Formats: sequence, structure tokens, C-alpha cells
Amino acid sequence: MPENNELRIGVYTCYCGGNISDVVDCERVAKTLIEFPNVVVSRTDMSMCSDAGQSMIEADIREKGINRVVIGACAPSLHEQTFRGTVTRAGLNPYLYHHVGLREQDSWVHHCDCEGATCKAMRLMLAGVAKARHLDPLEPIRLAAEKHALVIGGGVAGLRSALDIARRGLNVTLIEKSPFLGGRMAQLETLFPTGEDARTGLHGLIQKVIQHPKITLFTQAQLVKMAGYVGDYQVTIEQQSRGVHVEIAEAALTANLPEVPDEFNYGLTRRKIIYRAYPGCYPSTPAVDWKNYNGEPLVINGQPTVLYNEPKTFDLTVGAIVVATGFKPYEPRQGEYGYGEIPEVVTLPQLIRHLALLGDGKPLTWNDHPVRDVALIHCVGSREIEGVHPPHEDGEVNNYCSRVCCTATLHMANELHERFPHLNLYDLYEDIRTYGHGHEQYYRDALENTTRFLRFHGDDRPEVVAAEPGDTHPVLVRINDHLTWGEAMEVPVDLVVLAVGFMPRDVSDLIKLLKISAGTDRFLLERHPKLQPVETAVPGVVLAGTAQGPMTVQESCAAASAAAAKVSSLLGQGQVELEPFVAKVDLEKCDGTGTCMEVCQYEDAIHLETVLIAGQEVRRAVVTPANCSGCGGCVSACPNRAIDVQGWTLTQYEAMIDAFALEPAELVEVMA
Amino acid sequence: MKNIQVDAIVVGGGIAGMQTALDIANQGYQVALVEREASIGGKMIALSKVFPTLDCCSCITTPKMSAVAHHPNIQFFTFCEVQAVSESGDAYRAEVLQKPRYIDVDACTGCRQCEYACPIYLENPFDLNLSATKAVRVPFSTAVPQIAVLDIEHCILCGKCEKVCPVEAIDFTQQPETFHIDTQAIILATGFEITPRNAKKEYNAAHIPNVIDGLVMERLLAPTGPYGRVLRPGDGKEPESIAYVQCAGSRDDTLGVEYCSRVCCMYAIKQAMLLSGALPLADITIYYMDIRTFGKGYEQFYQNAKAMGVQFVRGKVASISQDEHQNPLLRLELTDEGSQIVERNHDLVVLSVGMLPAVSPEAIYNIPVGEDGFIYIPNPNLAPTITNRPGIFATGTAVSPMDIVDSVVLAGAAAAEAAAYIAEHHNGAPALMPEREAIYA
Repeated sequence: MPENNELRIGVYTCYCGGNISDVVDCERVAKTLIEFPNVVVSRTDMSMCSDAGQSMIEADIREKGINRVVIGACAPSLHEQTFRGTVTRAGLNPYLYHHVGLREQDSWVHHCDCEGATCKAMRLMLAGVAKARHLDPLEPIRLAAEKHALVIGGGVAGLRSALDIARRGLNVTLIEKSPFLGGRMAQLETLFPTGEDARTGLHGLIQKVIQHPKITLFTQAQLVKMAGYVGDYQVTIEQQSRGVHVEIAEAALTANLPEVPDEFNYGLTRRKIIYRAYPGCYPSTPAVDWKNYNGEPLVINGQPTVLYNEPKTFDLTVGAIVVATGFKPYEPRQGEYGYGEIPEVVTLPQLIRHLALLGDGKPLTWNDHPVRDVALIHCVGSREIEGVHPPHEDGEVNNYCSRVCCTATLHMANELHERFPHLNLYDLYEDIRTYGHGHEQYYRDALENTTRFLRFHGDDRPEVVAAEPGDTHPVLVRINDHLTWGEAMEVPVDLVVLAVGFMPRDVSDLIKLLKISAGTDRFLLERHPKLQPVETAVPGVVLAGTAQGPMTVQESCAAASAAAAKVSSLLGQGQVELEPFVAKVDLEKCDGTGTCMEVCQYEDAIHLETVLIAGQEVRRAVVTPANCSGCGGCVSACPNRAIDVQGWTLTQYEAMIDAFALEPAELVEVMA
Repeated sequence: MKNIQVDAIVVGGGIAGMQTALDIANQGYQVALVEREASIGGKMIALSKVFPTLDCCSCITTPKMSAVAHHPNIQFFTFCEVQAVSESGDAYRAEVLQKPRYIDVDACTGCRQCEYACPIYLENPFDLNLSATKAVRVPFSTAVPQIAVLDIEHCILCGKCEKVCPVEAIDFTQQPETFHIDTQAIILATGFEITPRNAKKEYNAAHIPNVIDGLVMERLLAPTGPYGRVLRPGDGKEPESIAYVQCAGSRDDTLGVEYCSRVCCMYAIKQAMLLSGALPLADITIYYMDIRTFGKGYEQFYQNAKAMGVQFVRGKVASISQDEHQNPLLRLELTDEGSQIVERNHDLVVLSVGMLPAVSPEAIYNIPVGEDGFIYIPNPNLAPTITNRPGIFATGTAVSPMDIVDSVVLAGAAAAEAAAYIAEHHNGAPALMPEREAIYA
């Protein structure tokens, strides 16, 4: 066994299943590194993260007395934790290991230059070894975790997530921005692939949530402030007044009040400014639409009544936060496929509401005209191509598939056929994506129902124009149909239905508050699609449902439950661990200038305290580790070099830079 | 007889089963994971790179395997099969068969001396029979556990392995053993099988060596693959023109498979991208009916493949024959190009085969399957992992075809349901309270 304090470094270069070794000559890297002082072993493996690879490292630590480990592999975000586990199991402090990102920083970006990439790999690994010489054992920061989760959003994902967390014995606070629960699912009538009634299932879930003793619900409530860290987030919630007393609720609903377009029916109807979302909604007490209320007295029960919104705020401490803020249906631009200009052009969500309002047994009409011919157009607001389709207000095109609309459209086509067998249905599509369990049946049914399918190309979408006065139909749909050799077709119809896609909601305020991020598609971004599909980059903040991307009800529930499992895992033990990579003050060098405080961007991360040194009262900087992000701002500002970020000290950086900066000649020499 | 007490049994050690086990164990419950093969890892461990991130597959799978193996709350049993499940009170007792490995698992160190000494060469199932392995072997290089398994059917009992084994781990006398696991919950993650190679007679895959399936191409592309490069199996030639036949096993009444297998579009596009890297000069054509790149980032992936020069041709391939140079000949209707019927020659044809249910849970678990053979889920929208028997859950591709991303998410969902079920069983169901007042101010 090694003598005390003798540095014994193990260096491991991973092939990464070819990701690295296809470009970098890993064997040469390993052979070169063994030449350096204190490097005791230098090995390669096809995948170091495999159990065999990890066992090899463990064996070296145990048998060869390795006390510093340097691994060159994928990005640390992928497997730094994995290897910390490895070295811990072998009895070494997990922070005596340094991870070099050979894949992202080298092989992936230099795949055309094998020699150059191999040399760079050597430099990177050499720098890693240089740093490893100065590594110190560290302990993670362990903090008590509040066994309480905040769920943002009262749609199906938020409800499902809240219930599953509560069932595991944790407290849950669920906040919903609007006055009513249920989200987009409440606006649906039947669900595929079962054909079940949407609101029956939803209301069953809402009942369970309301009755669960561990869940507290707040409607008209929003997150307005957040501080703290995983396990101990201090959040401030603001809740609007409901505005209507239960005693006058019914009278308020029948009073003569101003009306606005009803968002529940996507503007097809109007509602009063004191309203219920729909009959049977939760909670059942009507709410005041404060946005549309001008403060004038309203006559309710014959009494002029002024309503007051007195928002309340309250603070909570929660250990984790579930973001289930949902989506909004794509709103076509003015004139897109005639939308907003031709009255016979509607969106699919609008048609769902129209059919619900129509009631059973009535013939299908639109604007009081009978409907016989209907065109359904897929991919509206989805699968847009940059350079072909005009960008949206934010300069982006929706280049993603909205996943749900194909089956939803065919579900609608079949329902139309069933209720109104005389209808002629035309389905204009690019690809039919009935991918899910039981979805293909909807396509087959539609084919059998004699729905006529016409196929367009993504860069040559159909056109919708108003017909000439006196024509038999009000609208003409033009398409180059690729099922009939690209023939230009004109389909006269009474109604055009746009299968609109999913749009991310504007949650920029939440993104800022929670410090999470959105992807290039503008939906919220997960940490890794396979390793951490519902986690964000912020510890303790997880995603549930369509805030993350288009999903069916089923997929939203699955994601919501998965998010609940992560929250239960995180908070169930009542304790969380944070990385020790935080600032540390050397009290010997600190002379209390306070420069560090001025540059610090974080609340309560560093402050000056009066301490007694050699019998003298002096001011010294003190770090609150839980609030420090380890950004290093104070390190660079300190005039006395009294601060270091643990695990990334200036000494370690300098050693790495020295290694990088070896003269080419020296490098060639050592690498020869 | 050995008797083990846990909170949950996870049946199946593929990606869905491993993730479920980890997500339950991380909540503090005891888990037993039962895998019928000699190593955990499932189908995923044999793949090359995975969409849409193009991460190397072992980089995602092997750490999960390792995490399962080292988790303090997980016991895992390989080469084991659940044979019967009985109810005792509100709990289940599973009868598990430990198939003999003919290896003393406590002694074996995975040094592979036996494998090197064994004189019997067999087709290697891990490489889908493209390479050779031995009658006694560690199943594959990243197997967990790293313990040998002896194929007694092909063993000639020459004793060479016994002689070289440094720890005397070879045991020809081992017998099957049965043990019990008592549990509150059972989660079925029994996975899928692919469409048999010869299912579609018109494609002649049994007689044309250069018609392969998607999983074989995964092995050809994998860095640990049989040849270390992409060669066509018929004659070892490097293919210059490769075709993908989509829906070769899905959306096809003649095969009795009406459903879409959901992963084939993306794996074909992914392989096409990897092939453009491995064989930069090769032409790659994908023959399809509908391109179904529905997942997050998938449509963008498809557009990238198009931009990289992968050809997408709409048309369902009717039949495949072979010319005198062993080149497969595809017959199809080009629906986008005047519906002409053409024959197209390619060096190598990959059938994008679909997913079929792997095992029927009816006999052992007494839960039904749907018309398509996947486990029946009575309330798939709001409770996508709950079967119609309390305490038994299902996840991953045992429920329906799905990709890895969706499997990992559904595994988390199954873990949440199972953990909640266990919690409610341990502590009694939480008392219901009248409607709360705090809903609104």
C-alpha cells in the first residue's frame, strides 16, 4: 500500500462505445499518460461507465492504492455522478475524482481530424491529471428537505401529479392560475383511444384530489416569488379574490352583466364577466373575470354591487416544484388557410366545442347553413419548415410535430361520420401519424367511412379561398394531391377544419423565477430525454405534461406520475444533498473589504460577520453554502485572493492551465 | 426453500424494468428484479446509438445496469423466471425458478478463462448469430452480473473449463431451484419481441441473405458489433446502396398486425444517419407509407436526415427477390411519382420490423391481454400502468410498442403507482375528507 500522502493517480480513457475512439486514439492517450509522475495506472475501456469498467476502477483503488481518479469520457453531466458512486464504493472520497469531457469537448467537435483530436485529448487529460494533484476531499452539503411539493397547474397533468405525490404521504399545494380546475381536458368531449367521456374521467380525478387530506388547492393563484434551493424553496403565491359570495352566486349568474367571448368555447359563444367555466365545473362557485371588469357597479339581485379584487399573498416552504403549466392550441394567423377572414374556416378545438353545443340529433350547421362537405387539414401550425413557412411573432417556425392532432382529427372525422352519415369528408394530410396504442384503428375506420384522403407535401401546402358569390359552396380548398400524381384538385366545401397543433404557453415569468429553460421548440426543456426525462436542470424542479411538449392525455398522465415518482424519491427521505462546489473564505487572507458582497448576484450567499481573531474584533466574509451557486464571481473580485470555489480552486485552475500551455515542443517530447 | 420479502417485484430487466426498479427503490422500498436472461439490460443494451440524441446506447444503459446492481434496496435475480403467483391475504407470493447456470455464482469472478478454454463454438445470440461465442461464456462484455453461464445443451462435458477455472466455479451437477418472493406489488416489464424475420413471405428474408432486419443493423453499427464495420452478411461486401422497407411487420393485415410499431420510422432514420457516417459514399433510401416522427425533437431529426441526403420514397414494398449478384430487388408502386410500378436494386435491404408482445401474462398473473396481445389496461388515459388486478402493474413495451424515451417515462409512472399502492397498503388508505374550503378565498 502507498505511503501516506503519496499521490497515486489512476487515469481512465473511455472509448465511449466508439463515440470517442472513432476519432481519438485512446490507446495512445493512455500510453502517454502513464509516463507522467504519480500516474500509477492508465487504462482504456469500451465503456467505462459499464459495470465491468466501474469494477476495474474500484479494483485499482482497492488493490493499487489509487487515491486520485481522472476519467476521460462523455460529458460530466451524463456520468460524473455515476463515477462518483464508483469511487465511493471503493472507499475513496467522491470528490477525489475529476471528469474530463473527451466526447463533447473533443471527439464530437473534431471528428475530421483524428491526429489533432488525439493530441487535444492528451492535453485535456494531462490538465485533468494536473488538477487531480490538487484535489481535496469534500463533503456534500446535507440539508433537511421539506416534505411538501408545489404543483403549478390544475390541468390533468398537475392533478395527476399532485395526487400521486400525496398518495406517497407528502404534502402538496396545487395552484391553478384560472378560477377553475381541469385545464384543456375539460374542453374535450370524448377521448381516444377509448371513446370515454373526457369530463367524467377528469371529474373523478378532481374529486380524488379535492378529497385527499394531503393536498391543498388554490385557484386564481400564481407563483410570484421564489428563493432557496432544492428541499427548501421559499415560494410566494398570489391569489386573486373569487369576488362572488356563495349566497349571491346564482343571482350573479343570471344578472344582466357585460359579456365577453367565452374562452371555454374558443370564442364561439359569449359569457358574462361573472361566470362558471362550464356546468359542473370545479369549484362550482362562479368567479369574477377581473381582466374584463371595469370596476363599475353591477346590478345583482336588484342591488348595485361593486366587486373588489383583493389579491392575497402567502408564503410557503416546499422541497420540490412540479411545473404542469400545459399548452395552448395554435391560433392560426389572420388569413392562414382563410382563418379569421372566411367565416367557414374553424379550428379543430372550435369544432369540438361547436358539436358539443349543437346537441344530439340536430343536423350539422355552420352560421345557420347546412353543412354537407367538410375538409379537415392536418399540420396547421406544426411541421413548419424554415424558409418555406413564415416565422411567428417570436421569429421562430413550429418545426415540431404536435403528435396528437392526426388521431384527434381522425377521431373527429369518425365522429362526424357517425353523427351525420350524409357528410362528405375530405382529409388533407402530409403523413398520417396514428402511432399510439389503438390509434391506427381510427385511421382504418376513417378509410372505411369513405373519408377521402388527399396528400400534400410539406413545402406545398393546400390553399383555402372564398368561393365566388353564387357558387354552390362557400369555400374552395386547393391541393396538389400526391395520391393522384400531384394533380391539382379543387374541393368545394361548406366547412374547413384546421387541425391546429400545440403551442407552448408563455411561461417566461416562470422560466425566470425557477431558472429553468426552454428548448429550441420553446417548450420547457428536460435534463436528458432518456436519463432524466422529467427533470429540469434545476434540482427539485420537475416537469409534468404538455408544458414539455405535445402529448396526449395518456402521455401527460404518464409524465405526471413519473414526475411524482421523482419528487417522492427526492423528498421522501426528508433530506437532500447539494454539491459542495461553493465559495469558501480563507479567514487568514480576508480583510473584510466586502467586495465579494458587492459582486454577488445571489441572495444571502455571502455576508460580513464580526469575528474574533487574535483577540481582535474584525469583519470577515462568511458564505452561506446553501445559497451559493459556486459561480466564482467573488473569487475574481476579491483583492486578497482569499476566496476559492471548492473543487475548482485557483490553484487547480492554474495547474490545469500550465498543463494546457506546455510548449508544443515540450508536449511533443512528453507525448513521444 | 429460500424465501425473500420485498415490497415490489419487477419482472423484466430491460430499460423499463430497470428504471421502474430504480424509481421504486429510490423511494425507500425494497425491490426484487427478476430477469429470465443471464444478464439484465434487455433489448436496449444490444443497440448502437439511440435517437434523437445519438447517445451511444451503452452510455445510457450500462450505468442503469450498474445502478440496479449496486442499489441497496434492489435485489436482482438473473436467469430466473416467475412460474406462478398466488395471493396470500392482500399480498402476492411469486414462485421463481432459478435456472441452472452450471456455475457457482458466488465464486465466479467473470475472468472468462472458461470461455477462452471452451472448444465449442456456437452462434452468438447477443450478435443475433452474426458472430460466434462459446458454450460457456460471460453473456457479453458489459453483462451484469459478470458471471459465466454454461449452455449445457451444447456442452460436450470435456471438462476444459473446469480445469482452467481458478476458483472452481464450474458445477455440472447444478439443478434448477425454486424460491419464493413475497411482495405487495408486481410490475410487469416483460418487453417485446420483433417481427420474425420470415413473417412476411413476400419479402423472402429466409432465402435472401442480404435482407436483414433492423436489430441486425443495430449490431452491425454497434462499436461492439460482430465485424466492427458495416458489411452485408451474404458475401461480406461493403454495401453501396442500402434500402429500408418500412412497416415490415406493422400496419399489415396479412400479418395480423394492424397497429403501428411506433419506433421503426425513427430507428430507420437514425440508422440511415449512422450509415452516412460509416459509409459516406453509400446511397440510402427509405421506402415508407407515412413517416411518423412524432416525438420531441423527432421531426427535426427527420428533416436533418433529408438534408443529409437520405432519400425518402413513398411506397409500400410489395415483394423482394434477388438478382444473380445477391442484390435484393424490390418491387413497389411509387405513389408520389405517378404510381408507376418499378423494380429497384439495392446491395442491402433492411426490414424495419415491428414490435410484438413478448410473453402473455394470462397464465401466471391472471391478467388479460388486448386484441393485439399486449397487456390490457382498463383505463389507459388516466391510469396507463394499472392492470385490472389490484397490485399488478405493467410498463414499457409490455403495454404497447413504444420507444426508449416513452418507456423510461412510463416506468416512472408505474413506479409512482406501485409506490403509492404499497404506501396505502402499509398504512391503510388515507381517510377521505369532505370537500375542502381552501380551494378559493
